[in-house]
Amino acid sequence: MEPSMPQQTSPGLAESAKPPKSQSPWALARRKFLRNKIAMISLVFLLIVCVMSVLAEPLTMPVEETAKINLTQMSKEPSAEHFFGTDKSGRDVFARTLHGGKTSLLLAFSITSAVIAIGTLVGAAAGFFGGWVDNALMRFTDFMMNFPFLLFVIVLKSIFIESSTGTLIFVISVISWTGTARLVRSKVMAEKENEYIMSAISIGSSSPKIIFKHLLPNVMSTIIVQATITLAAMIVAETALSFLGFGVPINIPTWGNMLQEARSPDVLTSKWWIWIPPAAILTLTILSINFIGEGLKDAFNPKSNR
Amino acid sequence: MSIERKNTAVLKKDKSTNELLLEVKNLKTYYPLKGGILRRTIAVVKAVDDVSFEIRKGETLGLVGESGCGKSTTGRTILRLLEPTDGQIIFDGQDITNVRGTSLRKMRQDFQMVFQDPYASLNPMMMVGHLVSEPIRNYNNKSEKELKQDVLDLLSKVGLPEDAYYKYPHEFSGGQRQRIGIARALALRPKLIIADEPVSALDVSVQSQVLNLLKELQDEFDLTFLFIAHDLSVVKHMSDRIGVMYLGGLVEVAEKDNIYAEPLHPYTQALISAIPEPDPRKKKERIILEGDVPSPIDPPKGCTFHPRCAHAIHECQSVKPILKEVKPGHRVACHLYK
Repeated sequence: MEPSMPQQTSPGLAESAKPPKSQSPWALARRKFLRNKIAMISLVFLLIVCVMSVLAEPLTMPVEETAKINLTQMSKEPSAEHFFGTDKSGRDVFARTLHGGKTSLLLAFSITSAVIAIGTLVGAAAGFFGGWVDNALMRFTDFMMNFPFLLFVIVLKSIFIESSTGTLIFVISVISWTGTARLVRSKVMAEKENEYIMSAISIGSSSPKIIFKHLLPNVMSTIIVQATITLAAMIVAETALSFLGFGVPINIPTWGNMLQEARSPDVLTSKWWIWIPPAAILTLTILSINFIGEGLKDAFNPKSNR
Repeated sequence: MSIERKNTAVLKKDKSTNELLLEVKNLKTYYPLKGGILRRTIAVVKAVDDVSFEIRKGETLGLVGESGCGKSTTGRTILRLLEPTDGQIIFDGQDITNVRGTSLRKMRQDFQMVFQDPYASLNPMMMVGHLVSEPIRNYNNKSEKELKQDVLDLLSKVGLPEDAYYKYPHEFSGGQRQRIGIARALALRPKLIIADEPVSALDVSVQSQVLNLLKELQDEFDLTFLFIAHDLSVVKHMSDRIGVMYLGGLVEVAEKDNIYAEPLHPYTQALISAIPEPDPRKKKERIILEGDVPSPIDPPKGCTFHPRCAHAIHECQSVKPILKEVKPGHRVACHLYK
């Protein structure tokens, strides 16, 4: 028995002597993020909301059904048949909340993608090239910043009266990228002073390659955090616009359109089930997105040890 | 003694042919300082002011001077990483001072740089394998397999283990990172490598390893070095010839042995006298320089060194000395030698 002991331990030793698996900066951040409880709970919650919204139709009813007015079922309290009750037109609140989530989240994700894409490209180009490119792009950004958000959206929505969700996505994206552009520009300007950029120039890398392979990966953490902030802001923006009646057409259920019903004092005070569900999910979704953003910020920060 | 020196000189000439690889003529790099609402130029920082020298094929020219004297700026301007204000850079018989865009990018494969800070000069988000293969990717269409083989060859050349390929810069020490930087500079088999204080950020024990690596690589790949440093003993170890810079200008250029045995410029004399002597019994006279290095925004008139020079004569305050040959192969910019 005894002579076999060293033989048994030697493979174990060899195993431990092996160098630890390579740690990319991304892998390190991911591990830190996975250890962050609040962020993970928020992520799970957001995923559930997303999945349920996407599966709104198989879970409840087709979207056309949710728009049907049912005079026999007006303002019913929550019951086994209607989990969240029905609204003043007799439409199922649960189904509308799920379908509303689908529209609201789709809108927010689309706008965020567009905003981050435009903002990153403009900001990176301005920050990297500097000089007249920077001047031209930043003056254009300033110009776009001058548009008052609500007024601009309302006017455009009035012009394109036959508007759809797509128009809204386009209109909001076009004027919301400016903040991201400025942020990315300042980050890129700071990052490009690092010697590794000069080193990339000296080994003959082209400017697009330097921007996409060297600069952007190093400012990506900022961009991702900015994306979560934008995502939360865009859900709020959609809700606010729909609440005011300038958002998504009223026949399409969104969280904002549903909250609009709370404008009547009767609903607000005595028919809580009509507006509490969308309001609660909206609040929790935004909260969880912000927690995720906070967790990501922490994960990307090499100085935090959470 | 003199015969011996001649012999070494002949030997050196064999290694470094008389053919010039790099010729720098009256190079000037000025930075405008802008201020006020109108962003007008209110002053000019003369980082490199009228520097001329040449490097022969296969030799190492050491460039020494205090921090802020324009050594690094000179190196970066030669590589066209900074824009020269005036002057000429002739590399391998070709004037590269005004080459731009794609043609400049094409030429870059012949001259490479090893950077000073091994922590800032490697992209932290890139795997070492990608970092080292990047220069090859920029110029060749090689398959991933060939690229990987090239990178592994380079890693072993600079003394890094094979598994470094899949690691990231933060997993290495300063010396190892500098080896990665050297592998990157070497990847394109350049003719000239400008090493910008490649060991000043490293521990003394690691410095010699990296320096010896550079020497070995020089022999193996017939490299020509412009070696920038502020540490005189490091420069002595590495160089064939040495140039001394002060406040943006070159004050003395000579063969290594000449400059250490017989420094001519008062500034060089002060520098050489400051080298620590390992033998405590040996008495040494140290020349202590008075005052600080003047600002390159408003350098002194005449010889830029005259306010600190013990031997300054009247002429030094008004006339700028030019670099001229006072002995064979020994050039100095000083009014004391005529």
